[in-house]
Amino acid sequence: MKMLTFRKVLTVSLILTFVLLLVTLASVMVGSVRVRPGRSLSILIHSVFGLGGEETEMERTIILSLRFPRAMLAGLVGAGLSVSGAILQALLRNPLADPYILGVSSGAAIGAIVAIMVGLGALSFGLPIASFLGALMTVLVVFYFGRQDGKIHPNTLLLAGVIIGSFLSALIMFFLSISQKEELHTIIFWLMGDFSFSNTRAILIILPYILLGVFLLYCQSRKLNLILSGEESALQLGVNVGRLRLISYLLASLITAASVSVCGLIGFVGLIIPHSVRLVFGPDHRLLIPACALVGASFLIASDTFARTILSPVELPVGVITAAFGGPFFVYLLRTRKVIKTL
Amino acid sequence: MGKHTYQISTPIKRLFFLFLTLLWLSPVFGQTHTFKDEVGREINFSFPPKRIVSLAPNITEILFGLGLDKEVVGVSIHCNFPEKAKSKVRVGSYINLDYEKIIFLKPDLIIATGAGNTRDMVERLESFGFPTYVIYPKSFNGILKSIHHLGQVVDREKEALGLIERMRQRKQRVVDEVKGLPRPRVFLQIGDAPIVSVGKGSFAHDLIILAGGENIAGNDNGAYPRLGMEEILRRAPEVILISSMNPKGDYSRVIQEWSRWRMIPAVKNGRIHLIDSDLIDRPSPRIIDGLEEMARLLHPEKFRAKIQNSNWK
Repeated sequence: MKMLTFRKVLTVSLILTFVLLLVTLASVMVGSVRVRPGRSLSILIHSVFGLGGEETEMERTIILSLRFPRAMLAGLVGAGLSVSGAILQALLRNPLADPYILGVSSGAAIGAIVAIMVGLGALSFGLPIASFLGALMTVLVVFYFGRQDGKIHPNTLLLAGVIIGSFLSALIMFFLSISQKEELHTIIFWLMGDFSFSNTRAILIILPYILLGVFLLYCQSRKLNLILSGEESALQLGVNVGRLRLISYLLASLITAASVSVCGLIGFVGLIIPHSVRLVFGPDHRLLIPACALVGASFLIASDTFARTILSPVELPVGVITAAFGGPFFVYLLRTRKVIKTL
Repeated sequence: MGKHTYQISTPIKRLFFLFLTLLWLSPVFGQTHTFKDEVGREINFSFPPKRIVSLAPNITEILFGLGLDKEVVGVSIHCNFPEKAKSKVRVGSYINLDYEKIIFLKPDLIIATGAGNTRDMVERLESFGFPTYVIYPKSFNGILKSIHHLGQVVDREKEALGLIERMRQRKQRVVDEVKGLPRPRVFLQIGDAPIVSVGKGSFAHDLIILAGGENIAGNDNGAYPRLGMEEILRRAPEVILISSMNPKGDYSRVIQEWSRWRMIPAVKNGRIHLIDSDLIDRPSPRIIDGLEEMARLLHPEKFRAKIQNSNWK
């Protein structure tokens, strides 16, 4: 492994941050109503510095209440899911792992369904909180069953997660097929991923989880690297492997739970971005984690922008776009890079 | 001094009374009106509304039926009737509103449906400052009530009452005609794979009953029960109605499928018919066309002539 310098991490992060900024600006400039690109920019700048420009009320609302919050949310979720996927792939030592593999998504859906059935869905805060709790409970149950002799073994945990997830999916289908409540059918759209309700509230709900989660995981990156090079050697170097695993799993799950609770399931991001970033920048977590966060954010913002504009006024589920663009790109990376670097 | 402090000088007093009078008169001048919508929300908007956005096909049909061709400025992508509605700006679907387009249109009233639009959507629209009136008809009479409410909200109450009266008369004529006739067992199919039918709580179920039929799925689970083939064989429908979601679609295959089951009376007697889904599942004035069509299919001996479609517009 080539030496990774802090300088390189900084350079790559700065370049990717610049890309993220460009993507965000581009996303804010397009939509079903035409707002002149220069105008969009000046509205953003004015709102930051608290100045009033010559723009109309309509343009301000479209940019500041619709497009910008939506880009923010997509960016946060994209960053969170990518980092969460990268961590789970490393810890489970399984290239197929993604943020939902431990059943978090089904747990969140069950939480939302139960909330709707007992009438909590009518509260404006009800759904995200219920689905977040559902996701957390699932994580705890999976951990309980995934342990052996008080220790976490990747394969046992993986199996526990997949099986509990399938069980909950069956439960979801059961509720959906017997339900009389029309509201429950909105669950189906939620299961396809949906950013159309992005607002400041949703952003505030997930912001702390994603920022703090990604930061804390980044702090573990040196130790995560040691685990990758072998559990034995990590132990010899004084890493408390058991505790590191537990903390990292929990952080990754928290990030996923927060994302799912505000925008439903968005497939592919958490699987493909970590692999792509690893192929380009290598498996060192000190670079992998920040790069995943920035690339994931840019990718999901771009995908969501396509999803809402390609067939406007009809919106596509964003998962359609992530798979349609991410899949071929990933195949291209596989072909040109030949070797998949070890996880 | 004491006493004087309570005295208000005459010019100010006059101004005050003038102000009170204006305040009292303001509703008469048509500034804003407050209405309670069908889900109990109170909304306040400038009356009469001049720029209306409709979020559902049945709402669009009602508004055009009341003669608001000009005032309706935006409709959903599902709004396909009347022809004139198709030229209006499209503002997305039930589940995916195009908020940008709506903001662009600057409506002074949005009309939504409780059966399709969600609470979140309505709250969101309100947060952008657009008053949103929700209708939520659940039965045949509910449709008439919704037409009346919309008539009041858009200042076309007279037209609404006329429309309702014509609908009532046409319904009564059907009900009188089928009175005392034997009620055929009807199976109404709205889905192909799996086979989905209509039950209590759906408009199509109400139509079957009004048109003098008996709905074999009427007592099953919910508004859209899913029945197995065995169960359909057991209940032996005498008429099978296939609701055609797509008028240009090819339904010969669906009808062909049924021909395998010769033991079903409807199949044996060739009483399998297509019926336009827009006429039977949309709570709009055209539901009366659906009712007459249904009555014709259930009691052909009574209604020989084909009923003319849409004579309300």
